[in-house]
Amino acid sequence: MPTPKPTSLSIRSYQVGFGDSFLLTFHYPKVAGKPKAVHILVDCGSTAMPAAATHSLDDIAQQIATDCGGKLDAVIATHRHADHINGFGTNAAGDNSGDILAKLKPALVVQPWTEDPALAPDAIKPTGKLKALAAHTRGLQAMHACAALAADEAARLGSALPERTRKQLAFLGETNLANLSAVKNLMTMGKKNEYLSYGAKTGLTKLLPGVKIHVLGPPTPADYSEIEKQRSKDKDEFWHLLGATAQNPQTARAPFDKKFAAKTRPAHARWFAQRVTAAHIQQRLEIVRALDDALNNTSLILLFEVGGKKFLFPGDAQIENWNYALKDAPEAAANCKLLAATDFYKVGHHGSLNATPKTLWKLFAKKGAPTKKTTLTTVVSTMSGKHGSTSANTEVPRATLVAELEKNSVFFTTQRIKKPPLFEKRDFPL
Amino acid sequence: MMRSLPKPRTQKLTIIAQDPSAKDGAGRIVRARVEIPAESLQPGPWGYRVQVVDFDAATDTLWKPLEYKKRNGIVEDPFATASDAELLADPRFHQQNVYAIIMRVLGRFEFALGRRVSWSFGGHQLKVAPHATADANAYYSKEDEGLFFGYFVDPATNGLVFSCLSHDVVAHETTHALVDGLRSRYTDPSSPDQAAFHEGISDVVALLSIFSLREVMAGLLSGWKGTGKVSAKKLSPASLRQSALFALAEQMGSAMSQARGQALRNSVRIVQNPALISSAEYQEPHRRGELLVAAMLNALIEIWSERVTGLFLSAGELDLSRVVEEGQRAADILLTMSIRALDYCPPVHLGFGDYLSALVTADREIRPDDSTYHFRARLLASFAAYGIKPSSPGDAEEPGIWTAASGAFSHERSHFEPMQRDADEVFRFIWENRKELDLTEGVYTEVQSVRPCIRAGGDGFSLRETVVEYVQILRLMPPELTDAGYTRPDAELLPDDREVFIHGGGTLIFDEWGQLKYHVHNRLNSYDKQSARIAYLAESGYYLARRPKSEAVRVTRQGLFSQMHLNRGLNRSRKLTDTWAGAKAPPQPVPAHVCGVHSFFTTEEENDDANA
Repeated sequence: MPTPKPTSLSIRSYQVGFGDSFLLTFHYPKVAGKPKAVHILVDCGSTAMPAAATHSLDDIAQQIATDCGGKLDAVIATHRHADHINGFGTNAAGDNSGDILAKLKPALVVQPWTEDPALAPDAIKPTGKLKALAAHTRGLQAMHACAALAADEAARLGSALPERTRKQLAFLGETNLANLSAVKNLMTMGKKNEYLSYGAKTGLTKLLPGVKIHVLGPPTPADYSEIEKQRSKDKDEFWHLLGATAQNPQTARAPFDKKFAAKTRPAHARWFAQRVTAAHIQQRLEIVRALDDALNNTSLILLFEVGGKKFLFPGDAQIENWNYALKDAPEAAANCKLLAATDFYKVGHHGSLNATPKTLWKLFAKKGAPTKKTTLTTVVSTMSGKHGSTSANTEVPRATLVAELEKNSVFFTTQRIKKPPLFEKRDFPL
Repeated sequence: MMRSLPKPRTQKLTIIAQDPSAKDGAGRIVRARVEIPAESLQPGPWGYRVQVVDFDAATDTLWKPLEYKKRNGIVEDPFATASDAELLADPRFHQQNVYAIIMRVLGRFEFALGRRVSWSFGGHQLKVAPHATADANAYYSKEDEGLFFGYFVDPATNGLVFSCLSHDVVAHETTHALVDGLRSRYTDPSSPDQAAFHEGISDVVALLSIFSLREVMAGLLSGWKGTGKVSAKKLSPASLRQSALFALAEQMGSAMSQARGQALRNSVRIVQNPALISSAEYQEPHRRGELLVAAMLNALIEIWSERVTGLFLSAGELDLSRVVEEGQRAADILLTMSIRALDYCPPVHLGFGDYLSALVTADREIRPDDSTYHFRARLLASFAAYGIKPSSPGDAEEPGIWTAASGAFSHERSHFEPMQRDADEVFRFIWENRKELDLTEGVYTEVQSVRPCIRAGGDGFSLRETVVEYVQILRLMPPELTDAGYTRPDAELLPDDREVFIHGGGTLIFDEWGQLKYHVHNRLNSYDKQSARIAYLAESGYYLARRPKSEAVRVTRQGLFSQMHLNRGLNRSRKLTDTWAGAKAPPQPVPAHVCGVHSFFTTEEENDDANA
């Protein structure tokens, strides 16, 4: 019997404000007279809903449950940022969005290799490749400690900080915090878990007959060993160091005995003390920004190839993650050829300035007027005014990128979804 | 009444010689008592050039300032006999440590230059926060007029690592502040060399400063054995390169890399290879700066190793104190030379080749006879081994030195005496001689500094010089570049709406008769060099990060006088007391702050509204 092939693919983009949530439904020919479809959820998270919205992530989860007919085949959580996974969070009452999604009993949960619990530093033998991986995971844990510290600091300093700085610090801190219940839920909700890296085989292939799945990122430190050697400092160790300071409240909170603390702050010390605080906050922001980038770069990059069409879901991957697939991997040339034929692109990182590398955009061969039949489709899930600033050219979504997408692709932004249904559905015949 | 003896001019204070990880033969932290200028201190320590304010932003604590007791007109060192544990646990020792090291480096600069050295921010006192924040970082910030030192937990030991207790780190950051005071434009965006220079020279000064601590050197060389002898094997250039003497910031390096004995930088071990400087790895400023360090300190290692060959006591052993003396003497010459060279550098766009020419010129001026050490030839060879050639060819006798200024300069409209101190007077000289000096006409020009100095010469006489820096600034929009003679980078890297600042300038060295001796410059009309810099900045994304130039006129708050005149003219005499200005308003936010740390890309942005 020939392998059945999907006849069409529906992609639903949900209105989650600043976050990502997509449902991929692959339609297959009827089996024994019954329609057959495979449902795959890509991310479910939000750090802010539009001001006018009356719905919550719970409503989104409910909508997903309806749309997939009460059963998910697979869940893909591209990376650990809250705006991609906090929808999987559960509560004690068992009625949170994550509880609703868990009831959809996915057969498979797919995440980047960095989320593999077997990599916990105390759970494995530090040997060979695993050692490098464990060091990286330990780095990620330390990053969360740093993020917690940043969020903490934003709260502690409160009104002493300029509003924009405080918001930025709090936002980046919270986004990067490990969402424990969501992480746990992702670990347990599926029958099977998979932690993928560049070039890995995936069980999604078995769930999706007739679909070829390419894992184009993230690379592992082992893939990158040559590049690691050239770096003067190990980035992961850097997080580890900061994490150690952050996680050690006793030492970090008081480097000296209390008896050495001055009771008053004399006038001559105040100007400089304020400068020291400002510099300290600036450093924290820099660190948490770098941390945000690092976590974005753990994103899974998946390319679905089906019926001669190619659908690209890169999470929030930035250039550092992309570099391997596009430049440094042995298969780089083949990857570029594959990507050139992309028909659907989920815009990286809510349309921020650095998650659609120009190298990648230039590669896409099907750019063109939106009216043309062959032009590729681009979809961004985003919300303006939450992140970045227009005056600094860092607003998300970035205006110049959006203009280019509008001009040279069939473009859709979830910002256009103003009322129920809470999603936009797009069908691709295959 | 009998006149009392004059007050002592110096005082001695205890510092940690390297960092708390360096222990002597008895397992104690290696300390040194260093001599610094005596002064009347306020609690801090707070002296005439340095003010320690021990504010810790991570814990929001002001640590009590160190207050000295005085005896015979000088302060008493409270930590002369303190235990290791006391040194680590008492923030006041940390305050003394940074204060003493900064004063020592400052003193060394002033000695070499023969004049006072100012901070770049205008005030007299550099502020220092020895425990600013809980990060593995330390830096100089011009905007904050200070040095910031962080502390952090070493994950391997769970102990705290204080960057303010690392001699190398403190000396390095102090040098950043001093070099910025001497050449404020070296933090401008320019080239990989200029960014790297700040890092390189700071490491050089930090490493060479250790050489003047005799006991520390003796201990490190002999392994703290106290036999007064040292094995010849340890003095070969190869062994010296492995010595802790040439490793920078061991404790921070070990904690940060999680590998014992791993210094933060170990530049002398970089293999001599002229191709490195153009390799991708060496474009990053810290890494590139290491090439400068390697070139300079390897010259010292060669000289030292050669000088001690005649000092054999018995088979394979040498007299330790003589070996140390030789090293100290050579290091002292090199340190003086490397600081003096700053006066012979162009004020903008410094390249390593410029610095090399400045080094040999500065040395030739004050120490013409180099037959004992052959320092100049050695430095030229060592730099060449790392791919760095002098910017000036020099002559057969003294290769690499700057060419003497030539031209018929007119002194008729300027006066001799103010030419040694008055920027306006020197500007008049420049203005009258602008053709002779080959300046670009029709652009903004400014004299940045006029510095008279008296340097001690080897012949017992002093060398008097006046060092003048001037800059020229041309501001163009990208479409204007080609007509002005420059190459315009791709519009994708340099959009039409980003303003391009082109800096040129020179250093004028006048001799003791007021005649122009040297004119060291990087000109606006060196079109190829300037175009290369614009291309480099464009490729590094500098222009994309800048805001578009607005055509709108910026209206800012009027100055005091114009306001007074306007108010009178408008018959407006409303007083603030009549308004709600004093009523309870929401707290004013602290102004957003941009850190000056190695942020070579912010300086110009902030200067958008002014030329200088």
